[in-house]
Amino acid sequence: MRRLLPTLLLIGLSAFAAPPAYPPVTADQPMHFPRDHGVHPDYRSEWWYITGWLRTERGDPLGFQVTFFRSRPALDETNPSRFAPKQLLFAHVALSDPATGHLQYEQRGARAGFGLATAAENDTDVRIDNWALRRDAAGLYHARLVTADFTLDLVLNPRQALLLQGENGYSRKGPLPDQASFYYSQPQLVVAGTVTRHGRPERVTGTAWLDHEWASAPLAEQAVGWDWVGLNLDDGGALMALQIRDKTGHRFWAGGSWRHADGSVQHLAPDAIGFQPLRRWTSPRTDAAYPVAMRLQAGGLTLDLAPLMDDQELDSRATTGAVYWEGAVTAQSAGKTVGRGYLELTGYAGRLDY
Amino acid sequence: MSTLRSLTLTLLAGEIGARPWRALIGVLAIAIGVAMGYAVQLINHAALTEFSRTAGSLMGNADLEIRGPRGGFDETLYPRLARLPEVAAASPVVEVEAWLPAQRQTLKLLGVDVFRAAQVTPGLVGRPAQPDGGRLNLLAPDALFLSPATLAALGLQAGSTLTVQLGLKTVRLRVAGALPALGEGLRLGVMDIGAAQWQLDRLGLLQRIDLRLAPGVDVDAFARTLHDILPAGVVAATPRDTLQGTSSLSRAYRVNLNVLALVALFTGAFLVFSTQALSVLRRRSQLALLRALGMTRRELLRLLLTEGATLGFFGALLGLGLGLMLAAAALRYAGGDLGGGYFDGVRPSLHPEPLATLLFLALGILAATLGSLLPAWEAAHARPAQALKAGDEEVALRRLHIPWSGLATIAAALLLTQAGPVGELPVFGYLAIALLLVGAIIAMPQLAQAVFGRLPLARRLPVQLAFAQLVGAPGRAAIGLAGILASFSLMASMVIMVASFRQSVDDWLGAILPAPLYLRATPGGEAGYFTDAAQQRIVATPGVNRAEFLRTGQLLLDARRPPVALLARQVDPRHPGRRLPLVGLPLVPGPEESAPIWVSEAMVDLYGFRSGRLVALPIAGRSVTFLVAGVWRDYARQYGAVVMQLNDYRRLTHDRRVSDAALWLTPGATPALVAQRLRRQLAGGEQVQYLLPGEIHAVSMSIFDRSFAITYLLEVVAVLVGVIGIAASFSAQALARTREFGVLRHLGVTRRQISAMLALEGGLLALLGVTAGLLLGWAIALILIHVVNPQSFHWSMDLMMPWRSLALLAIALVAAAALTALFSGRRAMSGSAVRAVKEDW
Amino acid sequence: MDAHASDAASPVLSLSAVSKAYHNGRARIVLRNVDLALQAGEYVAIMGESGVGKSTLLNLIAGLDHPDGGRIAFEGQDVSAMDDDDATLLRRRAMGFVFQAFHVLPHLSVAQNVALPLRLNDVAHGAADLRVAAMLAEVGLAGRGDERPGVLSGGELQRVAIARALVHRPRLLLADEPTGNLDPDTAAHVLQLLRERIRASGAAAILVTHSARAAATTDRILRLTPDGLVPDAPPTQIGP
Repeated sequence: MRRLLPTLLLIGLSAFAAPPAYPPVTADQPMHFPRDHGVHPDYRSEWWYITGWLRTERGDPLGFQVTFFRSRPALDETNPSRFAPKQLLFAHVALSDPATGHLQYEQRGARAGFGLATAAENDTDVRIDNWALRRDAAGLYHARLVTADFTLDLVLNPRQALLLQGENGYSRKGPLPDQASFYYSQPQLVVAGTVTRHGRPERVTGTAWLDHEWASAPLAEQAVGWDWVGLNLDDGGALMALQIRDKTGHRFWAGGSWRHADGSVQHLAPDAIGFQPLRRWTSPRTDAAYPVAMRLQAGGLTLDLAPLMDDQELDSRATTGAVYWEGAVTAQSAGKTVGRGYLELTGYAGRLDY
Repeated sequence: MSTLRSLTLTLLAGEIGARPWRALIGVLAIAIGVAMGYAVQLINHAALTEFSRTAGSLMGNADLEIRGPRGGFDETLYPRLARLPEVAAASPVVEVEAWLPAQRQTLKLLGVDVFRAAQVTPGLVGRPAQPDGGRLNLLAPDALFLSPATLAALGLQAGSTLTVQLGLKTVRLRVAGALPALGEGLRLGVMDIGAAQWQLDRLGLLQRIDLRLAPGVDVDAFARTLHDILPAGVVAATPRDTLQGTSSLSRAYRVNLNVLALVALFTGAFLVFSTQALSVLRRRSQLALLRALGMTRRELLRLLLTEGATLGFFGALLGLGLGLMLAAAALRYAGGDLGGGYFDGVRPSLHPEPLATLLFLALGILAATLGSLLPAWEAAHARPAQALKAGDEEVALRRLHIPWSGLATIAAALLLTQAGPVGELPVFGYLAIALLLVGAIIAMPQLAQAVFGRLPLARRLPVQLAFAQLVGAPGRAAIGLAGILASFSLMASMVIMVASFRQSVDDWLGAILPAPLYLRATPGGEAGYFTDAAQQRIVATPGVNRAEFLRTGQLLLDARRPPVALLARQVDPRHPGRRLPLVGLPLVPGPEESAPIWVSEAMVDLYGFRSGRLVALPIAGRSVTFLVAGVWRDYARQYGAVVMQLNDYRRLTHDRRVSDAALWLTPGATPALVAQRLRRQLAGGEQVQYLLPGEIHAVSMSIFDRSFAITYLLEVVAVLVGVIGIAASFSAQALARTREFGVLRHLGVTRRQISAMLALEGGLLALLGVTAGLLLGWAIALILIHVVNPQSFHWSMDLMMPWRSLALLAIALVAAAALTALFSGRRAMSGSAVRAVKEDW
Repeated sequence: MDAHASDAASPVLSLSAVSKAYHNGRARIVLRNVDLALQAGEYVAIMGESGVGKSTLLNLIAGLDHPDGGRIAFEGQDVSAMDDDDATLLRRRAMGFVFQAFHVLPHLSVAQNVALPLRLNDVAHGAADLRVAAMLAEVGLAGRGDERPGVLSGGELQRVAIARALVHRPRLLLADEPTGNLDPDTAAHVLQLLRERIRASGAAAILVTHSARAAATTDRILRLTPDGLVPDAPPTQIGP
């Protein structure tokens, strides 16, 4: 789950005359594909979140992140204007290159409409101007994003079945039943494409992880932030683990799933998860101290998470509003690398506001 | 050289110390000219700086602005432009000049898409008052962000509500934060674009799209290719165009003010000339002595020019101080346009520019130096041997005049009046006025000689003496005469021009306001209108015999010019003169011909819309052909106005709303009674403005008088300078004639007789000056009316001679001249007559 | 003293066959065939009837006017051939003037009036002040340099004029009827002073006058006639 978020417009709720009624997330709504690859505009928020590791032809490792958010703001929806902000779309794209030493990223926001910012309902197809993420009829994802510093042009090929999180996609985020989201993942995506920097295209290959999640409930009041990790294990398995922290820094909620190499899925109860900080890195920009190296306990596994590089902080205050750490990590067991993935650390630079 | 320079200083200090009043007059005259010019420059500069800063913060880093008429254009243009590969970012904008009924003023409201504006015009993204939770306000339908100047001017803060009038309804908006990036002088409100379309009744319409282009795209070339994509009436303007548009808005007005200031400076230079000429005359033998002692011509010339320049320097310094004060006061009390109405919504502050300050300092020095050039040249070239003897002054004065050049200059002036404008400015018109003035001054001695030579022989001694002086020393008289001529002609021309203009406006108002009662949906802005239902209700109101409706709009015909006003109203094409103050005969179009329009005079000058031409106008995004069926006079809209029939407008736009109504009443119904009924019966009737023609008339005339306040001020200055000039020249003359008075007293002429002689001399001289000045003033007024005004403001007017004011001014000036002559003569006689004769100077 | 003054062989000023006519409607010949040689240190009076051209002659010598014929040489330089600027500079350096009407500038102090020629000749202020003070003492106006001309009597004004004429040590002094505006007693004092000061300065000088008494104070008297300058009878014979 992750990523509850686009905070921007989740706030301030009932201040306006006719706030929209968001449908609740319940356990009795099974997922249908390809419909559920598409957008769910009635829910408060939704995102498609791709993270992964790439390797250039010269063998240098890169981390990348491509995210599209959708939000239905709590505003009067009777406005007949075609500019009425009924659906908002945001996108982040980030590249982690140890040679650069810090995260390169760009973000965009737009109100849906006029064919400039769209999200299709029948399958994954979201775009803001010339940034697009699309799933074709063969099930391949195409991501193309042009920024001032780099261009990502990737094809992501799912090698495994979808991984429905929680109970067939009903993923709880707190002790109350409506503190939940619809959530599925697509681990072990095989990536091929180009990364263009300084006008010079480089062929890249790699492995990525896609999450698609939609929800209506805001984060529980006690929660301050969360730690999330998604790992593509070298043996073909996939591990997702998450803990939501309260303001004392303790675990308020936790959960996860481990799909073994043989395809069997082990759902992880809150007490089966443990995150233990090993080393903190303090951002020179925000003074936030992120536990960039963690020891993860999940369903009997003990993995040491080590970042590709320390500075993978992302400041999205211009769009979705949060400052967080989203970085490529390796998972090591007994000093040996057993998988690669992404670690997300939120709520360290002030409470996430939503 | 240092001791020679110190000699110059010694002589200068001696001269100024000996005649401080004379020096003071010169200094004051230059100071007034410099002060006027500098103040006008400061005010214009302040207003323009603020305006371009405003335009800059509104334009942000946009490379192109797609602009349409005030009515807007279809919003689907936005995605089409945004998808062009050359466009890096496109930010759509809704723009409404909204009426605030509680504050009784208008406010420009912009609707922007924060996501797009952030990329192109970040200054238009509001800052929510609440630190975190208020961000949704950027999109909320009732949230409004105000510029700091607006918050301060309206006394609002975050959380206040602001009521805006739309149609005859009102909408309450909530102040959610500020626009801190906008300039301190700018009054503006910003809301979400969707909210603005909805709340401000602009669904489906945009007024503007700001474009940021991809790196490497040629802005001008791209703007040209856009021309084919954009609907009729929508233009692509670069920030340069926009700035040029705003500055061209007031350019003619500014140039006219500057010319008036230059006139003041010219009068100052002339005053320096007359005082210097007489001073040099009086010191004739002293200067000759310096020559005899071994001062070269060039050194003497330099000495006298230094005298003039010193007066100029101190005058200019004083003038700069006065100008700064004047500008500050004017900005505070009249605003940046001096009442001209060009810079609404902008509160500029003064920023003296070093370059302009130096320029005006130099201008003051230059004017005074030029004023003393001719007398100095004459003194330097006088024969010292002769000049050492007294009685040589007339020889000197004769040399100042060059026969026939006066008439030649006047002829050249008349030729120049036929030339067209240069860069839309009446450069040659002004030049003609200057030449006319100079020519008349040059020709004055001959005229004086011709006129005074015909004076009859008089019996009575004072009269005889006065006539003899006028005939015998016409050169000396000419200096005083030229002063009267210059000041009176300028005064008279201004009085005639303003009176003609005022009368023409007065007549015009009478012609355009035939009905006894007028309704306007809002006193200002354009958000107010009468719906179809409201129109029917107005017509059905008891007491209303007939109603005519008016719809106002805008046409953008040229990106580099301000938009043209579109007035759709009920006009009978067979008798357009019944509703419009036509200039010339109208055409009556046949039934098969294109629909007729009637254009203001400015349209002919600016766009070539001559009567009988077929022209294309962008109506509702389409290009429609009309026949120009007539030209009418319009003093309200300097940038052009087009009248079309309301039916044609409705047929083309399907827009049935109107902004104004003119009502004719049934017999017995009074405007007040009908207004009261309408107020009750019309939904939102209390928002409507009810206007009586008399009130409109009065308001318009008061606006007229306010915009001419600056010219009245200049008139007063011209009068002052004229009177001071007469006083200076007569006092100096009288002092120069001290010996003559002494001789007369020796011969037994009484003081009273000498006084009478002087008064008569002064009066006769002034009479001639005033008569010639009236003629010259009339000629200058003709140039102002028929050349300068049509070329700068594109409107014509009829000549009207304000005889009463002119006569009063003339009498005042003649009386002032006689009194001044008398007074200065008395002073000259107060010294010992014996000493006056004995002393050789 | 002065290089030129010691060169007694050549005259300071020499006029040969100088003539001048004024054209005022009809030509009127004023001077005809005037010859004059003036040695350094020589003080000469020129007498003549009114209108005979005495002042014109002075103006020609001073370069304020040009002769129609003949040659005027000052220290060998042809004054009549000089342009206005050169003549002016020569006058500034080498000549002094005393006028009948004093021509003392009214709004300058006495000392400032006297200092005028020094200023024109770029003499440094300190030296000029000393020289002016000395000169005022020599003409009997010691300590009165700060006074305004307005408070002075006619005789005092002419003393100021004499001081001004000699302050820059000219080689030629031209005095045009300097006592014409003065009463006889004052005139006698001024003439005596003038003679003393000319002697002391070593300059050549020309006194134009119609007063025999004034002429008698000079070394030699010439009479200007329509046919030129002729020597007059010895002054002692005309004395009172």
